[in-house]
Amino acid sequence: MGILSRMSTVVKAKMNRIVDNAENPAENLDLAYEKQREMLRNVKRGVVEMVTAKRRLQLQAGKVKENITLVENQARQAMAAGREDLARQALQRKQTAVLELDGLDSQIASMELEQEKLTNAEQRLQAKVEAFKNKKEVIKAQYSAAQAQVRIGGALSGLSEEMGDISLAVERAETKTETLKAKAGAIDELAEMGMLDDFSGHGDSLGKELAAISASQNVEDELASLRVALPSGQKKALPGGGE
Amino acid sequence: MIVRILTEGQYNLPGAYIDDLNDIDNQLVEVVETKDQEGFDRLLKQMLDLVREKGSALPVDELVESDLVLPEPDITLEEGEQLFTGEGMLPG
Repeated sequence: MGILSRMSTVVKAKMNRIVDNAENPAENLDLAYEKQREMLRNVKRGVVEMVTAKRRLQLQAGKVKENITLVENQARQAMAAGREDLARQALQRKQTAVLELDGLDSQIASMELEQEKLTNAEQRLQAKVEAFKNKKEVIKAQYSAAQAQVRIGGALSGLSEEMGDISLAVERAETKTETLKAKAGAIDELAEMGMLDDFSGHGDSLGKELAAISASQNVEDELASLRVALPSGQKKALPGGGE
Repeated sequence: MIVRILTEGQYNLPGAYIDDLNDIDNQLVEVVETKDQEGFDRLLKQMLDLVREKGSALPVDELVESDLVLPEPDITLEEGEQLFTGEGMLPG
């Protein structure tokens, strides 16, 4: 049995659950319609949650950017004061913050993708629910209850399948959002504790070491360029350095 | 034959393509088994593109059940594996 049949099984299982939940929906078209609208509201809520989670990440990225500017200024000041050791520390912090920003940016991008998918799903479901509503009204007007059951059956299956598809997508998006939220929370905590070392997502030690090497190289490069930019007379004109 | 690509929508695909789909499907089972990421991505794309290119998209307000459901375009190899866990993988 391949992917195809597995996938169909998963969706049909979802779909059956939806139809079951509607307690013999063919008998009560209006109830089925209510279920669909509820589903639509859930999808809309999912989109809103996604947007909120994304905003949170964007705020966090903004703070990290501010932090980068801050430590850059600190590094410059430290160099001007002839304290290369402090400048190095500041630039090391900057490297950490830059990595954090990269991580946040890629998380935001992935949230945007999820958001777009859910929005598309919402629009598709909206169209399907509308179509079902129209069909339901026409059938109710023209047929007896028993006939209506038969006539609406196929449409209801089609719609349930759409709902199955979308509820799988929503579950998937929710799992992703939860993971991202947990990550963001962990980064917040680390940032508060002033120890942001391992958020870069490099799980393996080789990756970590390579990242460390390139980070320390970046630090040295920046120090060098600060050194060059430093006017020789400026060392005496430091804030707090005495005139 | 009505084919759904999850998160994307439904297509009407001529029934003759079922053999092609089955063929790709069998290869997919193999690459999932060997955890061949590159092969998985390539075959998945091949499968979905076949449906997109040879099939015609159903209007969004059409209400009909699919004969076949294909995974979402961004399904990962790990998620593919999960499809097979639980009941275990059956031959064929």
